[in-house]
Amino acid sequence: MNNDNLKESMIDNNKQKIEQMSDALLDKQTAELVPEITPQRDLWPGIERAINHQGQQPSAFNSRDLFMPSVWAASIAMIMLVSWVTLAPQHNPFMETRLVSHSTEVKANQAQLVAMMQQSFNQQKVSLRSSYGNPKIELLPIAMQTELSQLAKARVAITNALDNDENNVDLLNLLDFTQQQELTLLQQLYRQYQVI
Amino acid sequence: MDNRKLQDKSIDIVRPKVACHGNQQFQVLASIDDEQRCIAQVKQGSQTAFHSLYQQHHKRIYALCWRMLADKDSAEDVCQEVFVVLWQKIAQFHGESKFSTWLHSVATNVILGHLRKHKNWLQRVFSIEQAEVSITEPKAALVDDSTLSLLDQHIVELPERARLVFVLFAVEGYRHEEIAQLLKMAVGSSKSQYHRARQLLKESLTAVGYSSITQEFEHE
Repeated sequence: MNNDNLKESMIDNNKQKIEQMSDALLDKQTAELVPEITPQRDLWPGIERAINHQGQQPSAFNSRDLFMPSVWAASIAMIMLVSWVTLAPQHNPFMETRLVSHSTEVKANQAQLVAMMQQSFNQQKVSLRSSYGNPKIELLPIAMQTELSQLAKARVAITNALDNDENNVDLLNLLDFTQQQELTLLQQLYRQYQVI
Repeated sequence: MDNRKLQDKSIDIVRPKVACHGNQQFQVLASIDDEQRCIAQVKQGSQTAFHSLYQQHHKRIYALCWRMLADKDSAEDVCQEVFVVLWQKIAQFHGESKFSTWLHSVATNVILGHLRKHKNWLQRVFSIEQAEVSITEPKAALVDDSTLSLLDQHIVELPERARLVFVLFAVEGYRHEEIAQLLKMAVGSSKSQYHRARQLLKESLTAVGYSSITQEFEHE
């Protein structure tokens, strides 16, 4: 029995020593890690090809700023929409009569354009979601969900306004801008919150 | 331990004494001044100068990619991506820190972005489960690459989170607060992952010696 205890205590002591030695060994090996490893293939030709097709970003660009435009986009979109609704010229019967000959054709074209923009936006959104494994919006933080919801509301409001005034180029541009901002924000959020 | 600072110093010591001139094909950088000149030329769009920067730094960046991604092919692809991103963003480098430090932070972000991009949430769940299993199950075989140090061969066998934290803290010299921010985890998690990585590495590094010693006592 005493021999067994002695043996166990010796093993414990040695385990402790080995533990200390392994700590020291690990620290030593970590300090001695080679800072450079040579890749097996030449990576430069691929880099050269890629940079020949891409420009350089100006120094003012900051990737962190990508999050802010969503807030601005929603705000700007809403402000412009409200301003347009408030400040738009009143109906002019004379002008209306002059434009009536073209109105049916133009309306059809503009309605098609809005529908196409909406369809393209939806397709981009679906492919973006699927490229990130169809993450659920509900899993994003509440603040981000609210931001997305505000952008979506702005987009719907602009689309509704376009129903009443399909000829308005400013509104079309605003819709396009809002859609792009929504896609950019979605992409950023998926990247940010699809974390390890 | 701040290996990053040590590495920065070692760059100064081992940097070959060949100046950066636009027409040389495989020039390397003689001093910090030359590096600054090269950076300025790259900002002007000089691909030759950019090639010099690549020659100077790509092996370190590849080592970082390889250790964090634990896969040769991905490491090569991502190393290329790092330099493409460097080309695009070099105008944002204003010399507040050492270029190598800035480049490593760019590289770290590209690597983490790559990991996020190539793993959907479902895969992550599986990788977490696999990581838990790997604590109890010994590895069947190490990476068979004689060019790598023994520790490197064990690092790439670590579970992903533990590996990333270990490489960033022990090799790259990041602080746990920085790692926590990069990996979107609590500072405590970063510390515990580092401890876990150390334990796993110690176990694997001393496995042979440890078993032989304990066997000796058991036979007595």
